[in-house]
Amino acid sequence: MSMVAILEQALNGFIVSAFYALAALGLAIIFGVLRVVNFAHGELYMLGGYAYFLAVSALGMPPIFGILFATVALAAMGALVEWLLIRPVYDGRADRPEEYSIMITFALSILLLNLANSLFGPWPRRPEPLFRGGVELGELIVSGDRLAAAGVAVVLIALLLCGLRYTWAGRAVRAVSQNREAAAIFGVSVTQVGMLAFALGAALAGTAGALMGPVFNVVPAMGIIPVIKAYVIVVLGGLGSIPGAIIGALILGQVESFGTILIPDPSRALAYKDAYGLVLLVAILLLRPQGLLGTKERRA
Amino acid sequence: MTVEEGELLGLIGPNGSGKTTLLNIVSGYYKADAGTIAYQGRAILGHAPHKLARIGIGRSFQITKIFKRLTVIENMLVAGLSDGKAARAEAQDRAEGLLRDLKLDRLRDERASSLSGGQGKLLEFARIMMLSPKIVLLDEPFGGVHPELKRFMHDRIRKWNAAGTTIILISHDMGSIFDLCERVVTLSYGDIICDGTPEETRNSPAVLDAYLGDHHGSA
Amino acid sequence: MSLTMLRVTGSGLLLAGFLILPFVLGDYWIYTVTIGFYYAILAASWALLVGYVGRISFAQTAMAGLGGYVSALSVQYIGLPPVFGLLLGVMIAAAIGFAIGWLTLQLHGAYLGLTTIAFAEILRITATAEYNLTEGSRGLQVVPLLENGTRVEYYFLFLMITLACLALMTWLLQSRVGLFFQSIREDEDGAASLGVNVTLWKIMAFAISSAFAGLAGGLQAHFVQLITPSMMSLQEMGLVLAMAVVGGFHNVIFAALGGVGLQVLLEALRELGEWRLVVFGLLTLLILRAAPNGIFGIIFDALAKRLLTKGRDE
Repeated sequence: MSMVAILEQALNGFIVSAFYALAALGLAIIFGVLRVVNFAHGELYMLGGYAYFLAVSALGMPPIFGILFATVALAAMGALVEWLLIRPVYDGRADRPEEYSIMITFALSILLLNLANSLFGPWPRRPEPLFRGGVELGELIVSGDRLAAAGVAVVLIALLLCGLRYTWAGRAVRAVSQNREAAAIFGVSVTQVGMLAFALGAALAGTAGALMGPVFNVVPAMGIIPVIKAYVIVVLGGLGSIPGAIIGALILGQVESFGTILIPDPSRALAYKDAYGLVLLVAILLLRPQGLLGTKERRA
Repeated sequence: MTVEEGELLGLIGPNGSGKTTLLNIVSGYYKADAGTIAYQGRAILGHAPHKLARIGIGRSFQITKIFKRLTVIENMLVAGLSDGKAARAEAQDRAEGLLRDLKLDRLRDERASSLSGGQGKLLEFARIMMLSPKIVLLDEPFGGVHPELKRFMHDRIRKWNAAGTTIILISHDMGSIFDLCERVVTLSYGDIICDGTPEETRNSPAVLDAYLGDHHGSA
Repeated sequence: MSLTMLRVTGSGLLLAGFLILPFVLGDYWIYTVTIGFYYAILAASWALLVGYVGRISFAQTAMAGLGGYVSALSVQYIGLPPVFGLLLGVMIAAAIGFAIGWLTLQLHGAYLGLTTIAFAEILRITATAEYNLTEGSRGLQVVPLLENGTRVEYYFLFLMITLACLALMTWLLQSRVGLFFQSIREDEDGAASLGVNVTLWKIMAFAISSAFAGLAGGLQAHFVQLITPSMMSLQEMGLVLAMAVVGGFHNVIFAALGGVGLQVLLEALRELGEWRLVVFGLLTLLILRAAPNGIFGIIFDALAKRLLTKGRDE
């Protein structure tokens, strides 16, 4: 394998990592604050794709506003979901909160999937991307829409990390993640932070969907595979750990990028591409459930 | 440390001295780094908790672990039938006898979630006795218990002990310990610092040190 | 004794209803209810694992697909008669269930959910990717279970097998094993302290539940005479979850009734198109949120309450 080919695989892996990280961070923040694994995360990602499609293709907004629209719409959606469905997990109304949280988010994911199927039909949509054409980087040629979307993702991740570190709301989110009781004693409203976290997580998923939608296609089932990757990433990095999610995304992007060239039969390699992450997921859960950076807490 | 058959032994020590850890190791929940535990001349260290329960080592938990969505009698039957051999009718009879003995018989078909804290403790007692244990390890059985109920529990502990059951009692309730036990072992940072009668324990400077800190002896 | 009476009367009426049904229904509805029996076994097997043992799994439809594929492939390539194919499917599903149960012993809650999703998707992707063997997503033609079997014959065969499965599950859950399962759901450490072999029964629960799912999948494949990887998809899993939850997943009979009921509704509301599934989704969320015992749980509790107050008045 030539140097250029290796570089190309590595760059592809990195671009994919940026999207994965965006989706996975939302999952990590929601888990960190609410101790809920959001099984509907993929469908929030999918709805982000449709929000972008509606804004850009139906309303004629410029792509960058389409992304903004998807972010805001999904944030509102996340807040609503938290208020209606997630709150019983921690306010004592659910008898068996963990079982409830798993089943309610799984049921929500199926509901949203079927809703999108009914509203938009199963046909793939391809809204206008952020940027067209190819970009040459030395000998490498990368498609512009991917690079632009990855660039936006990296900027957003940087903004998010700063926000978590330097704003009051961000510090409240981190405080509740680390110690819910102590945060409550120091006057942080756990309910408000819970809603904020879910809205933020949904917004991140939606933004990722809006960025990826035009690169691949916007279809109702578009969230299923990326969300499984997001699970792999957060489990790899340790559920709820934010740096863990970023490192996990980088690892998975490379594993997939280079994994596809290991099976010689190309059509079979493509079919199995999505299985690598799953095998990785099972391996980590069985061997090191707390993840690479997570603290030891298996009874999530 | 050796516990004789039929003894009623108190195990005390300040917070973090290793009482519950010791209990968890003896009952198979924790692994030990070194050492041995022999029970009736057999080495039992590292055996699974359910195996130890079946050969007669019963234990309670600091926070009761009753099965909330099962009825009181079902809670009892889990213990009565767990070895896979006991007949159901026989286990049922025994369970009802024990429930009567602990004044829980009227709650027989209630879900355990509807029991009060004290009743929950009694149910846990009753379930352990369903195992017909040779030795019972009680971890803070009197925490948050009403004084009247405590007297009733003392009475039953004495009765079981008199019937030949060895009992190891962990408690912060010194009154109960000194009242019930003829021998008291004091732990501090995992070491035995005193092993004697309640009288000897009360007068031991080492025990006083462990509880009050050793600053007054070191200067 | 009134509760036992209620149970006996209820089961008797339901049984009579299902026995009469094929004589009053057209071919199409007989076919629909027969498929409903597949979902009934599947939903009940899921309820057995999740409702009684508290072990969450999203691999139930994957296990059904596994049973279906093993049976279909063993009939096609080894030439086994379908009945032995079915048995082989059940055994393989039980063995894989046993392995998953053993591997996931230390995992709980969402971690267990994620792991089972991963197992399910790996199975589905493998069935899709190995198209030389399975025809991939185009689907594999399957030999019928009954040669020249009529709809009514299939109906009664499936009804009998479903009843046998439910009887077997009920017997198991009424026995001491049912108590062990529930004690594990309530508190694993507590159960172990009373002598319950928690490790063994956690593994066995997965194996038993998977075996039933594998049987359901094999029956379905040989009845519909086609098997595709979409049978193992998470959407199908969502449907089975909805069936069990709507029926009541703390009781295998209620879950089974949810399976038949939702399958019939699915056909009855055909003109709503994909919106049917949206309605089911909303119903599932509503029930999880407001009535965790499910529709049949609510009905049974209400009847039982009326019976008891009546008994007290007299």
